[in-house]
Amino acid sequence: MSALAATILPEDHALQQATTLLRATVNEPRPQTSSLPDSALQRRAAVLFRAAENELHRHTDQLFARLMIVQWLAGIAAALLISPLTWIGDSSQVHVHVWAAVLLGGAISGFPVWMASHYPGLAVTRHVIATAQMLTAALLIHLTGGRIETHFHIFGSLAFLAFYRDWRVLATATVVVAGDHLIRGLFWPQSVFGVLTASSWRWMEHAGWVLFEDAILFVAIHRMLREMSEIALRRATLEGSNVEIERQVVERTAELNKTQTELLETSRLAGMAEVATSVLHNVGNVLNSVGVSAELATSKVREFRVGSLKNVAELLQQHSEDLPAFLSSDPRGKMLPDYLLKLAVHLAEPQQAILQEMEMLQKNIDHIKEIVAMQQRYARGTGVVEVLSVADLVEDSIRINAASFSRHEVNVVREIAPVPPLKTDRHKVMQILVNLLSNAKHALDHSEGDKRMTVRVTLNQKGRLEIAVIDNGTGIAAENLSRIFSHGFTTKKLGHGFGLHSGALAAKELGGTLQAHSDGVGLGATFTLTLPLEN
Amino acid sequence: MLKINTFAMIWLLVVLTGSLLMAQYSQTAGVAGTPPAQWPETSRVQRDPGLSKLVIFLHPRCPCSRATLGELERLMAHCQGMLSAQVWFIQPEGRDEVWVKTDLWPVAAAIPGVQVDVDHAGAEARLFQAATSGQTLLYDVNGRLVFQGGITLARGHAGDNPGSDAIECFLKQKTSLSASTPVFGCALGWNNKPEECTLCQP
Repeated sequence: MSALAATILPEDHALQQATTLLRATVNEPRPQTSSLPDSALQRRAAVLFRAAENELHRHTDQLFARLMIVQWLAGIAAALLISPLTWIGDSSQVHVHVWAAVLLGGAISGFPVWMASHYPGLAVTRHVIATAQMLTAALLIHLTGGRIETHFHIFGSLAFLAFYRDWRVLATATVVVAGDHLIRGLFWPQSVFGVLTASSWRWMEHAGWVLFEDAILFVAIHRMLREMSEIALRRATLEGSNVEIERQVVERTAELNKTQTELLETSRLAGMAEVATSVLHNVGNVLNSVGVSAELATSKVREFRVGSLKNVAELLQQHSEDLPAFLSSDPRGKMLPDYLLKLAVHLAEPQQAILQEMEMLQKNIDHIKEIVAMQQRYARGTGVVEVLSVADLVEDSIRINAASFSRHEVNVVREIAPVPPLKTDRHKVMQILVNLLSNAKHALDHSEGDKRMTVRVTLNQKGRLEIAVIDNGTGIAAENLSRIFSHGFTTKKLGHGFGLHSGALAAKELGGTLQAHSDGVGLGATFTLTLPLEN
Repeated sequence: MLKINTFAMIWLLVVLTGSLLMAQYSQTAGVAGTPPAQWPETSRVQRDPGLSKLVIFLHPRCPCSRATLGELERLMAHCQGMLSAQVWFIQPEGRDEVWVKTDLWPVAAAIPGVQVDVDHAGAEARLFQAATSGQTLLYDVNGRLVFQGGITLARGHAGDNPGSDAIECFLKQKTSLSASTPVFGCALGWNNKPEECTLCQP
């Protein structure tokens, strides 16, 4: 039988078929570029084609398995309905058709169902199914009394078998139909053709109609296989493209990682530069005070009457041999003690001032150390949290700029409300406040009249600390308010645009904010640092 | 794979054998009987003058009877005005008329030119020596038997058949020869000899 002959066809037959189709297909313009060479592409397409074909065969096997069961039950129902009993006079027995529907129908359907369940996708399975389908048609025709309508089952089955997209399955079915007609035509011609004298070749006419449908279905199958091969080729091409895309993604990702690393390094260097600039800016502010203190100390030292002391020393050296007489009888000697006393008093005053300046100098130098240390910690991303008195913090900040305020005759007003201790990073707050005070001083540099700076400490409604530095200086233009915290933005001739930017960043790190307000140019400005009491 | 192919081959042999047996069964004819060569005057039915008379004996519950009635309907349509027909539904002893008047009865009664009646205890069947459901007899205008047999192709098998063709040929005077065909149907049972009634038996 061709059904079984087909099952022993070489397994590679499908592959050959696919390859033949693919050869025709690959000559067409390729829809997409692929990294795979043509030979690999064809091999992959053939694999995909076979996989799709196998899936189709398995799926169709399952469909037929269900159909077989339904047909079996339908055959039994038809037998029970049409010919349930056979009679001899008034006695009856179960009709042979019923037994045939149950037993023969069960045998015809059972094995294909078992094959579809245990060996789906095998060639032998679908050829068994094709054979069974045609035998089922013959049985149903028989059970329905040869109704012409039941013959349509054959043609419907052929169309259904075309789902396999395997012309050999249709060939098997056709051979079964033709064989059935041939045998019946030879032995019981009237059962097939309705006449007793039918030609022994009449079966070919009936088989011809089946072949007619087969021919149409073969064309459809060929087209469907061609489409499948095209889809397989496109999919293989797409896979190749995906591989290429994935390779490019990996490559680009590596490049991106490298760029990101470089960017991080650049950012780190830029950050360090910013830190360095910030350090210089803050240190520069303090160094201004250091310079002022050194200048004051120098001028005080110059005020020392070292010459007068030298004259007294030389006079005492001249009279070293008669020093008692000189001190008691010489008019100059008599005046010497008083002179020394006055000189001592005179020296004590600048000394005190120098000492104060030295103390301030020491504080400034300490602050420089702290700034450097703070910026180092900032650069490392760590900070020490301390419990601080807000008033002391403000006072220290003012003190750092005190000399500068004094020189520019800035009147600093302190409005410090009683607030709880602040738990935060001292140096970051100091950095912000010193910068704000320095900026306020700069804003007052060219003001005439009352140069007033107010430092106001309050607790807002949300329980957060607010330290406002208010000046009545040059003010800020509205268009500059929005970008005043931007990196590099400055209105000073020698400014760098780092102070407020780093101050805002520091405030954010402390969980707070730094905000600016000005009613306009010439109307002063208010910078408000808001901090949580506990960071 | 070899094992599966062997199984498939065995299965194929089994189902082909079954199908052939089924075909063989469907082609097994019943007892033809030996009807009288001349119209028996003792019959309850009289022939219509100038018309051939077709007599059909049916088992009211035989599944094959429906196909016979279908063929009768076609034949009566094709040979309208050439014959009248009498359908006898066998009523076995001990069965009432309700048992006889199945859904086949109105089908038969609805065919133009066909008379339907109950054959009590198979008296008419006995008279005409009809043993098988579907037995058809054609007597010409002179009361001569010109055809005996069945007008179906096989058991319960509708469609073109040599019996109908022979009757039609005779009526249309294409031939004057007598003809006979196999009868496919259940045993009428009036002779009460089951061994002679192989029809429809498994």
